[in-house]
Amino acid sequence: MSAPLLELRGVRAAYGTIEVLHGVDLVVPEASVVALLGPNGAGKTTTLSVAAGLMEPTSGTVLVAGRDVTGAGPEELARRGLTTIPEGKGIFPTLTVRENLVMATYARVSLAHVEAVAYERFPRLKERRNQVAGTLSGGEQQMLAMARGLAVEPAVLLLDELSMGLAPLVVEELYGIVGQIARQGTSILVVEQFARTVLGVADVAAIMVNGQIRRVGDPSAVEQELSAAYLGG
Amino acid sequence: MNAVLTVEGLTVRFGGHLAVSSVDLEVPAGRISGLIGPNGAGKTTTFNAICGVISPSSGRVRLGDRDISKLGTHQRARLGVGRTFQRLEVFSSLSVRDNVQVGLEIRRSWSRRRAPASQFLAAGADLSGPEEVELILDRLDLGAVADAPVGSLPTGQARLVELGRALAARPRVLLLDEPASGLDDAETVAFGELLEQLAAAGLAVLLVEHDISLVMRVCRHLSVLDFGQIIAEGPPEEIRRNEAVLSAYLGGTADVSAEAAMAPGGGG
Amino acid sequence: MDKFLTFTVAGLSTAAIYAVAASGLVVTYTTSGIFNFAHGAFGMLAAFLFWQVSQGWGWPLWLSVVVVVFVAAPLFGALVERVIMRGIEGASEVVKIVVTVSLMVALLGLATVIWPQDIARPVPPFFEGRFVELAGVRVAWSRLLTMAIAVGVAVGLRLLFTRTRLGIAMRAVVDDRSLLQLNGGRPGRTAMLAWGLGAGLAAVSGVLIAPEQTLSAITLTLLVVNTYAVAVVGRLRSLPGAFLGAVILGLAQSYATGYVNQTASIGPISLQNLPAALPAIMLFIVILLQPEARLRAHGVSRPRTALRVPSQTTAVVGGVALVLVVAALGALMAPSDLSLVTKGVGFALITLSLVPLTGYAGQISLAQMTFVGIGALAMVTWGATGSPVGVAISVAVCAVVGAVVALPALRLSGIYLALATAAFALFCTSMVFNQQEIIPGGSLQVPPLSVGPFEVTNDYRQLLLFAVTFAVLANLIVLVRRSSLGRRLTAMKDSPVACATLGLNLTATKVGVFAMSAAIAGLGGALAGRTFSPDEFSLPSSLPVTMLAVVGGIGSVAGAFIGGLLLGAVPIGATFFAANAIGVFRFVTLPMADLLAVAPGLMGISLGREPDGAAPQVAAGYRAVGQSPPALATTAAGLVGLWIAARAGVIPKWSFVAALGVFVLSVVPLLPLLFAPVDPAAEHSAAPPRRVATAVWMVVATLFAALFPWADAISSNGYRLLVILLVVFLSARVAIGLSGVTPEALRRPVVPSPDLVGTDRPLTRSDAMDAARAIGISEDEFAAAGPDPVLEAELATMGARVGNR
Repeated sequence: MSAPLLELRGVRAAYGTIEVLHGVDLVVPEASVVALLGPNGAGKTTTLSVAAGLMEPTSGTVLVAGRDVTGAGPEELARRGLTTIPEGKGIFPTLTVRENLVMATYARVSLAHVEAVAYERFPRLKERRNQVAGTLSGGEQQMLAMARGLAVEPAVLLLDELSMGLAPLVVEELYGIVGQIARQGTSILVVEQFARTVLGVADVAAIMVNGQIRRVGDPSAVEQELSAAYLGG
Repeated sequence: MNAVLTVEGLTVRFGGHLAVSSVDLEVPAGRISGLIGPNGAGKTTTFNAICGVISPSSGRVRLGDRDISKLGTHQRARLGVGRTFQRLEVFSSLSVRDNVQVGLEIRRSWSRRRAPASQFLAAGADLSGPEEVELILDRLDLGAVADAPVGSLPTGQARLVELGRALAARPRVLLLDEPASGLDDAETVAFGELLEQLAAAGLAVLLVEHDISLVMRVCRHLSVLDFGQIIAEGPPEEIRRNEAVLSAYLGGTADVSAEAAMAPGGGG
Repeated sequence: MDKFLTFTVAGLSTAAIYAVAASGLVVTYTTSGIFNFAHGAFGMLAAFLFWQVSQGWGWPLWLSVVVVVFVAAPLFGALVERVIMRGIEGASEVVKIVVTVSLMVALLGLATVIWPQDIARPVPPFFEGRFVELAGVRVAWSRLLTMAIAVGVAVGLRLLFTRTRLGIAMRAVVDDRSLLQLNGGRPGRTAMLAWGLGAGLAAVSGVLIAPEQTLSAITLTLLVVNTYAVAVVGRLRSLPGAFLGAVILGLAQSYATGYVNQTASIGPISLQNLPAALPAIMLFIVILLQPEARLRAHGVSRPRTALRVPSQTTAVVGGVALVLVVAALGALMAPSDLSLVTKGVGFALITLSLVPLTGYAGQISLAQMTFVGIGALAMVTWGATGSPVGVAISVAVCAVVGAVVALPALRLSGIYLALATAAFALFCTSMVFNQQEIIPGGSLQVPPLSVGPFEVTNDYRQLLLFAVTFAVLANLIVLVRRSSLGRRLTAMKDSPVACATLGLNLTATKVGVFAMSAAIAGLGGALAGRTFSPDEFSLPSSLPVTMLAVVGGIGSVAGAFIGGLLLGAVPIGATFFAANAIGVFRFVTLPMADLLAVAPGLMGISLGREPDGAAPQVAAGYRAVGQSPPALATTAAGLVGLWIAARAGVIPKWSFVAALGVFVLSVVPLLPLLFAPVDPAAEHSAAPPRRVATAVWMVVATLFAALFPWADAISSNGYRLLVILLVVFLSARVAIGLSGVTPEALRRPVVPSPDLVGTDRPLTRSDAMDAARAIGISEDEFAAAGPDPVLEAELATMGARVGNR
């Protein structure tokens, strides 16, 4: 069996002197969708930042397709097929829609290709291609961010809180696209607060608590426990 | 009902994004009102618009009978709007005592009249400045750390410092933005009692908080915000059974037992 | 009609140069968030370099243009970004302003070193003598060329920023730096290219201006300063706005030249200089029209180190000691030295004026010498006999003028206050200080103070007057710092938004502090008792005041004193060392005076490494020495060694003094750091100290001080003392810079964790337990995960707190 596309081994990370990841082990196998779930403050976004190269771990290793990429910069990883769509701000608000798509071309794809894919999947973006992205609706902004993930055809896609502040219908549509990207053969790691939605798409669910992965398993098995975890407090 | 703070049709737009849309709120004296909702629903934006840190696209804010929509932040504060912040805004190079002291001194710099201290402090009108500061520190259990720099405190205590500072300015209405995050269980219970005492002393309190069990315990009235709109309003018991609220929290149709999801203590 | 057309064409041609220069400013500001005060100096250097290659070396014109505009300037801009600007990203606004201002001062120094003002350097206009007739007006080709270039720049920038990936990335980096990285862009490289582009545009404007002016470093630099007003029209961010501003200013200046009667005057102010004052006037109007800046609640993410507030007793003792020491030293000095030292202590009074403003309130002023000038002028007008009433009037006038100047800008962010004060300095220079009616003969004799029987009849008394005034004011300022107002200022610096929600009127508070600062500077002018030339009140004279005050350590009164002495020492050192040179490797000879011309700017730039200034760090260093046995031992060994060497006659007396100064002030405070065990927690957030380099530098500096023949090289005692002081200070700065001492404030701001928004730290154990219970992990399993230091520590503090309850 080939090496998993993304693997974190014993990753620790800290903001200043406060350690927030206390040894995270996480595997995203080839062509599968892994959902990373957990309460606020568990360290999900930090895990994603380490995987994306935005944060350097204080110890542990990050492997992409079996190669050690610990300490590689985010731009380096992005050019090598690891695409990240960060939480709630996956777009440049003062650039137009088209200019946002131009930024996707750093990942070694042509603008024509990016535009073709984006406009085909989201005709609304074509209508608004010269509109400043910050004036789009929340759903359209997230579509624009997703268009990048779709067009770049990355080996690994990291998604953070896709559903943040969006209407359930829009979220459903977005996760439809996540499924589509997964079928292209991309491995996806998705962090979510709205657990229910993502469990339909995920092959594996990983539960994170207090900076460590506590449980990895079949999505349906953890579903029941989760609803209590979020509102229970 | 004689509301201290009234918000009418408040709308805030960031670019094309509608952060808050036609929100109405009434916060009467002596009651803790809750404002809850998922992340990014527009709660902090509503607070910012009420105290004048951002200007809304439309809508009005009234304090008692007075329209304060056109006033600057410091003018609203002088009329009695006090608040704390979700992301701490303490004076981190000053000590805990000085933080509260600054609140008091700023008040004294614009208010000559010696208003009687709040009933909460259980003291008369002839309270001197230092006495008032010590009393506030005492009521908030900050006496032991009074001389420590705020920057060195754990977040929970730093939040109490923000509260103490706001109280020193003697507000009529107090906006609390996630004041209990960073507190442990015992501290949260004590904090809830503190809030109830503040309300009992006649203060109008508007509380934004993620700790649902605290909210359910102390609030007499809840407004639920989702996508910048109020989707439900009423006493906590009603909100607990509201379908729309459950789906806002769970992000889908609510087929899980509502009681189980909203009950304090969750599945534990 | 012809006249109108002629002036329109001239105005548009000037506008074209402004537009090109301003677009460079806008490009660097929007892409890096740093307003480059040195932009004018970039253009000035380019103009000189252009003269050098085209006239000096006789290269062909096209080649000269290519070399200057497309090679040298962009490389220089990129270098500046990489070496200096990248380090101050995330620093406070004051540091950003002071670092670029320092760069400007350093470049001015550099230009005068390379191209001394001894000969005229004419640059012939492009296409000399060729004209076209347009509607009956003769228009020089060079003017058409200038306008064509401006249009070309506008079109080129528009294409770059909307059509190319690089240009779009330059805009994207402002929106979201890390998102650009996640896309695969390289923000660092983008920023270097943006600074290269900005410098290139500055060079274009410099080359275009060169033929129209006699090349003078200061004039050229200040000419580009006019473009601040132009850039402000587009709120420093919009290119079309900057072009619009350029057209307005260019035409206004041209019409003012053509239509305003040169002999007309308003009161004593002749309108002859009006065109020069227009940019400042325009800047004020534009700032007045801007809506008030929005407050932001973004969380106080990093705890600041609190500067220790001296007790009033310390301040009183310090003040008395200062007066006694100054009195004793002054009594021993030769008259010529005395007047120089007096000047230095006078400067200390002026840098002191920045302590409440910059140190306490975090605001900046680039016009302190202008307020000195206004104070001096008021004293001449209302206190010609040296009466204290005149002093009081001067102080009041400065306070009022300061408040009026600062009010519009203080509603906006800090950068606008810097711009407004710079504009005010320029305005006063042309409309007040350079007016024959106001300062006849270009020299202003401020009457010496005379209070009843006490008359300041000589330099010694003047020195005492300064020292006493400094001591009294410093005590007052410490008193303020310890008062309710001081706490409010500190609070305002920590969190403006929290102060506003407590009812503090931010604008009024800042205006009050600015007025206080202006009043102190004015007092410095009113008490000066000497002759000023209008140049001393100009913007280029004010810049070093702010710079060196910040270098000395603006958060403290002692820092202001150090800054003031430095201010006095640098020019003195420069004039003194005019004849000296130090040989390096026996074949390069560096004139000392040249080094000193660049030194103040370099000191300011070094702030990029430690923004708190020198004084607080030195103080912190001494406290640490007592706790580090090896540092104590080295200190004792060094002192004993020096003493023995002096006693045995190995080193002469003056060398002993110098070596002692270097050792005590620049070596000892850093010793604890050299010996300190590496703190593993700090390792991630700050660069590790460069110990070996620092140690080598310490030894070299001490040996130099011990072996340099001070007594032979410098004949006057006063000079010698000042020069030694300067050497000591420079060695300390270099040592601090080398070691990379990082006080808390300098550490790269720790970005708050996105997972911790609202909590700012890991969940408490009970939170974790709840969540764990909820998702079905047993408590035993949780505890079995092993001891967790963070959690343990937290439990400990929690226990302590519960205990307190």
